[in-house]
Amino acid sequence: MMDLKAEVTGSVWKILATPGQTLEAGEVVMILESMKMEIPVVAEHGGELVEVCVTETDAVAEGQVLARIKL
Amino acid sequence: MSQSGSDPKAAAPWAAQLDELAARRRFAAGLGGPEAVAKHHAQGRLTIRERIAGVVDEGSFQEVGRLTGQGRYEGAHLNSLTPAPYVMGMARIDGRPVAIGGEDFTVRGGTSWSGDRKKGGQGGFVEDLAHQYRIPLVNLIDGAGGSVTSIQRRGHSVFPGVHGFERSVQLLGEVPVVCAVMGTAAGGPAGRAILSHWSVMVKDTSHVFAAGPPVVQRSLGQKITKEELGGADLAVATAGTIDNVAASEQECFALVKRYLSYMPQNVWELPPLGDQTDPVDRRDELLRTIVPENRRQPYDMRRVIRAIADQGSIFEIQPTFGKAVITSLARMNGTVVGFIANNPMVNGGAMDVKAARKQSHFIELCDCFHIPLVFLVDVPGFMVGKDAEAAATLREGMRVVYVGLQATVPIFAVVVRKCYGMAGMATTDKNGLDFKVAWPSAEWGSLPIEGGVAAAFRREIEAATDPKRREAEIEAELRASASPFRTAEAFGVEEVIDPRETRPLLCTFINAARGRLATSVGPKPKYGVRP
Repeated sequence: MMDLKAEVTGSVWKILATPGQTLEAGEVVMILESMKMEIPVVAEHGGELVEVCVTETDAVAEGQVLARIKL
Repeated sequence: MSQSGSDPKAAAPWAAQLDELAARRRFAAGLGGPEAVAKHHAQGRLTIRERIAGVVDEGSFQEVGRLTGQGRYEGAHLNSLTPAPYVMGMARIDGRPVAIGGEDFTVRGGTSWSGDRKKGGQGGFVEDLAHQYRIPLVNLIDGAGGSVTSIQRRGHSVFPGVHGFERSVQLLGEVPVVCAVMGTAAGGPAGRAILSHWSVMVKDTSHVFAAGPPVVQRSLGQKITKEELGGADLAVATAGTIDNVAASEQECFALVKRYLSYMPQNVWELPPLGDQTDPVDRRDELLRTIVPENRRQPYDMRRVIRAIADQGSIFEIQPTFGKAVITSLARMNGTVVGFIANNPMVNGGAMDVKAARKQSHFIELCDCFHIPLVFLVDVPGFMVGKDAEAAATLREGMRVVYVGLQATVPIFAVVVRKCYGMAGMATTDKNGLDFKVAWPSAEWGSLPIEGGVAAAFRREIEAATDPKRREAEIEAELRASASPFRTAEAFGVEEVIDPRETRPLLCTFINAARGRLATSVGPKPKYGVRP
């Protein structure tokens, strides 16, 4: 299991993947908005998206767990 | 030493003494003895002699102080000798002389040793050598510093600084100092690691902290592992205490050599010119399209650096810390330059306290060794918000401005996209030529338009029948006037270029600046007080 963490402080703009979905390495799971920029959150390794821990418009802090992926 | 009358060699003049020298050298080569060495190896660690051999040119190590240690005698006869837990001397790296030394963990865990003269660690012969001969210093650190047992040994406790950092500090203005943390560095050796121009540690097998887990538990009641307290995750990525991490000791040696390849021998020289095989007029097509037209979409700034710098020449300093800015040594037509590039993928490139600290250090490093700076600018300003204010982003950010204005190396600013506010100001060379070129995607101002409209036009917006629409209209009007071409008309920016022209243009000016660099070598005097 791998935690996908926010690298920036901001808010959740769009969630693009749904739990249960198989992710390819490099796939964008969600987009955060930080400092008026759209920051993609990318799955570094492929796997199954087990859980999305945030909803759209949630504020997120740097290091916060956004999603969990089963490798 | 035994002497036999039947052995013809024994009768030769000084034979006994030369035999004794050979025997003493064997004790030195044996370090802390086979058992201690085996235990050290079993932990996946190399000995100090293997480490030195791994860094330097083959056969180039000329040891100094090989006979130091604690001899045990039977009458006049030497039975055995425990070497001093520090090995050092002179060697060559890529053909250039360096002073190199490190603690021997297999002898008393590399704790400090008191002879008539200190070998290294804090000050000592190895640092004097770097200072007197003006050659780089490489420290291979693997020691826990002082031990309370020294009180027992000496009969008194030693005042801190009796072997101080005065030479270590002096070297930072004279010669490149590289510190590689190879094992556990606590106390003095940990402090010594920080007094460097560049530091590196080994993943999993090295740790650095002011004090280790037992002291932390005693002082604060915190139970914590060595890895949590001072492993690379914390020390490199979270804290930025150490600059880079290596996956293995072998990789660590390669990184040390690589770093030194960008450095001059001392501040009285220029860094060596690299090969000039990458054409100066290479125009990478990627640059034309890499910046998205949608201002909200980021892009990979590292690809921009790769497209501009000499191929294969990039060495990133602190790649995992303060990621809102990228600091890389690289070459442009062979000349060593320092790239400082904002990273729109982190905080939209806004300068936070970590990025600011990283940028200040990198500017000072490059200025010290006469390395011109290239800024690739995409910065919306200082990071905002309560967390950022609580971390003193403003103060650390103004330190960047201060350090930038004290730098005397040529500075070139390429405005890729955003250049706003004081963080934007910090990318320019106001005390020098102040040469700024912009891509057509560039935009600038004292603050981003979208942030400023609501405040500056509050009454007009509130009075409108559709305030949201009026705000959008004002934003659009202002944005049209904010085209970089309009500022170029006023010579407020010196050039607007096709992004593909970036490399040829920078190479032309950096080549031209070599004369200036060559005629202004030497130590950089510092004055004033950093904010």
